[in-house]
Amino acid sequence: MSKVRKSFVTTLVLMLALSLSLSACGGKKEESTGTPEKPVELIWYTIGTPQKDVDRVMEEVSKYTKEKIGATVKMNMIDWGDYTQKMQVMTASGTPMDLMFTSSWAFDYVQNARKGAFLPIDDLLKNQGKGIVDTLDPAFLEGSKVDGHNYGVPANKELPAQSVWRFNKNLVDKYKLNLDNVSSLESLEPLLKTIKENEPGTYPLAVDKTFNPVVPFDYIIQSMPMAVKVDDKDLKVVNILETPEMKQTLETMHKYYKAGYVPTEAATLTSLSDVQATGKWFTDIATNQPFADNAWSQSLGYPVVSKAASPALIYNWSVMGSMQAISANSKYPEKAMEFLNLLNTDPVLRNMIDSGIEGVHYKKVGDDTMENLPESKNYDMPTFSLGNVMLTYRDKKDPENKWDEFKKFNESGKKAPLLGFNFDPSKVTTEIAAVQNVKEEFWASLMTGTVDPDKFIPQATAKFKAAGLDKIIAEAQSQVDAWKASKK
Amino acid sequence: MKRIGGFFKDINKNKVLLLMALPATLWFLFFSYLPMAGVVIAFKEYRNSRDGFWASIIDSKWVGWDNFKFLFSTNDAYIITRNTLLYNIFFIIVGLVLAVTMAIILAEITNKKLAKVYQTGMFLPYFLSWVIVGYFVFSFLSFDKGMINQIGSWFGAEPTQWYTEKAYWPFIIILVFLWKSVGYNSVVYLAAIMGIDKSLYEAAMIDGASKWQQIRNITLPMLKPLMTILTLLAIGRIFYADFGLFYQVPRDSGALYSVTNVIDTYVYRGLKATGEIGMSTAAGLYQSVIGFTLVIVSNWIVRKWDKDNALF
Repeated sequence: MSKVRKSFVTTLVLMLALSLSLSACGGKKEESTGTPEKPVELIWYTIGTPQKDVDRVMEEVSKYTKEKIGATVKMNMIDWGDYTQKMQVMTASGTPMDLMFTSSWAFDYVQNARKGAFLPIDDLLKNQGKGIVDTLDPAFLEGSKVDGHNYGVPANKELPAQSVWRFNKNLVDKYKLNLDNVSSLESLEPLLKTIKENEPGTYPLAVDKTFNPVVPFDYIIQSMPMAVKVDDKDLKVVNILETPEMKQTLETMHKYYKAGYVPTEAATLTSLSDVQATGKWFTDIATNQPFADNAWSQSLGYPVVSKAASPALIYNWSVMGSMQAISANSKYPEKAMEFLNLLNTDPVLRNMIDSGIEGVHYKKVGDDTMENLPESKNYDMPTFSLGNVMLTYRDKKDPENKWDEFKKFNESGKKAPLLGFNFDPSKVTTEIAAVQNVKEEFWASLMTGTVDPDKFIPQATAKFKAAGLDKIIAEAQSQVDAWKASKK
Repeated sequence: MKRIGGFFKDINKNKVLLLMALPATLWFLFFSYLPMAGVVIAFKEYRNSRDGFWASIIDSKWVGWDNFKFLFSTNDAYIITRNTLLYNIFFIIVGLVLAVTMAIILAEITNKKLAKVYQTGMFLPYFLSWVIVGYFVFSFLSFDKGMINQIGSWFGAEPTQWYTEKAYWPFIIILVFLWKSVGYNSVVYLAAIMGIDKSLYEAAMIDGASKWQQIRNITLPMLKPLMTILTLLAIGRIFYADFGLFYQVPRDSGALYSVTNVIDTYVYRGLKATGEIGMSTAAGLYQSVIGFTLVIVSNWIVRKWDKDNALF
């Protein structure tokens, strides 16, 4: 017995030693060459449904970048729903990579910056990334600082976030509905009533389990109950469920639910893409950008109109809506920054990444306009996720002044109260995990109006408190106060 | 020196057997024993390091038992432990009874072709993923388009909001689990029944034993070792809940959490927001330690009672 055990231990130790030495070999820094003759390879992970022609396009891209900066590009796409979890595992296990997509809503930027997944890029921006600093609205780089450092390059796109009510225009026209007075949730009532009475089988107010009604609050962590009212100069952190605004909104939602305006199974509905495809919905809530109506109508295949539901405010999460970061374990951080710089300033590269190979996936019809070719179905990329949007060629149907309107929209945005503040949850991780569970239990059924707020808000609040919400709020308040003091 | 010499002699003597055990040994070594070193992460606040995975583990700071706190910090700790344990105990007992019964019935069917059809039909659900099973259940229970509410409406019954009525869910969960798993387990028992020496039954028949007596006195005793082993193994996993069953089938409906929340779903929901690897490792370690203890204890009980049937 002891013999066997001894040999087993020896093998185990050998095995450990072997794997350690192997990983040590792998960790050795290679000499950076990076000339057009001897290019380095940049490994890039980004979000989106994997496209068939990615390798083919990257081959073309690499030919171009090889000449310009002495680097080739290998792009790996990970599907929307998998991105956060796969990237968390890959960064934690030290998978080799140079560039990666990060944002406030997928593979959380602030959290992973704090965990050390990204390289701080302050110096790189000054040296290799001058073009980025010159092109971007300064609010982007300022707003995406974490503990005073930049860890990612935000995409140049719309800066503020504005909620709008979207309407299915076919139904608006059919019943000659007047949208002039639409703004609040309450103002929708007569319209919803008309649709409910005349269009059986159509969702008057299309909401799913991810629905968050418009309330004038800036969340400490998205969709967690800690928030600051947008016009509160004192920046007092409150439990949003206990505010009169939220209570009134949820009462209205519950009234609508009982009246049958909201899908009966809204609290478990994971997506609305079915009814969007069939046009069996009347209104829903969406985030605005200039000419969004055009884009929505185009992608849905029928006309859509929208009306503002909230003012345009610049939030942390809208500033960090789409970013590219350099991996902490990148072998060629300088080259990676040169590449990001090129991606955000060079229209040739940016459009190749976005639309594919000219003459294969798209054709140019003007100086900065283009038209998709049938092959584009093999290379259909999410434009906003891949750097400066304002360099991309306009679709020939887009208006001339598209990017000017974007700039105007960005200038019109007012700052949300917590812009620039990033909550550090490390002292309350236990409480956050518990509060997260309570949130999952109550949030969807409250927000969609499925349950009676008079009964369930007190229940939820009691459970939140038991899970440690007050401790999180106190911690958040002290961090907010310190941040506020440091700004003056 | 002598001991080492003896060791090589041993190897030489058993080389064929050792060679046969080698692939499985290597597999366990690489995928079960080597990763065990990773349990240190449960006691660390894991932070990525520039120099790769090993450096991350070594550089992360020790936090003692902090990572385990979230499992026990709220009232939910009681609910998730209760749900996990009760469901699993029920699955083990009812699953065992049903699987053995089905196996005996299948073995007794004289038309072997029909028996194969039934067997395949029962076996099939085992291969479906929980996501698909979730949609099957949804097609029965959907509020406006579900089959049960439709049929109910023909008889004038009020439609039920199945996904918010928690009273029904313990039954639905157990029903769905049994539907999916009984076929597979009964095949295991069926194979064991097929292996029983036919002459035992012939002798019993000559003595005039009825079918029931044959089952009680031959089949069940012959199946006992297999039943004990499979049950012991199931007890080892009593703190692991089937994530898909408890997450996909109730469509993650918040109103049902008090009867569907189990350790695995709780950990998932708590950590998908923060992505703290240390805390999920802690949860896994906790489940393993409890499972390990339970196997040792129940094996010890089995050995007291009937030495031949114990696992080790």
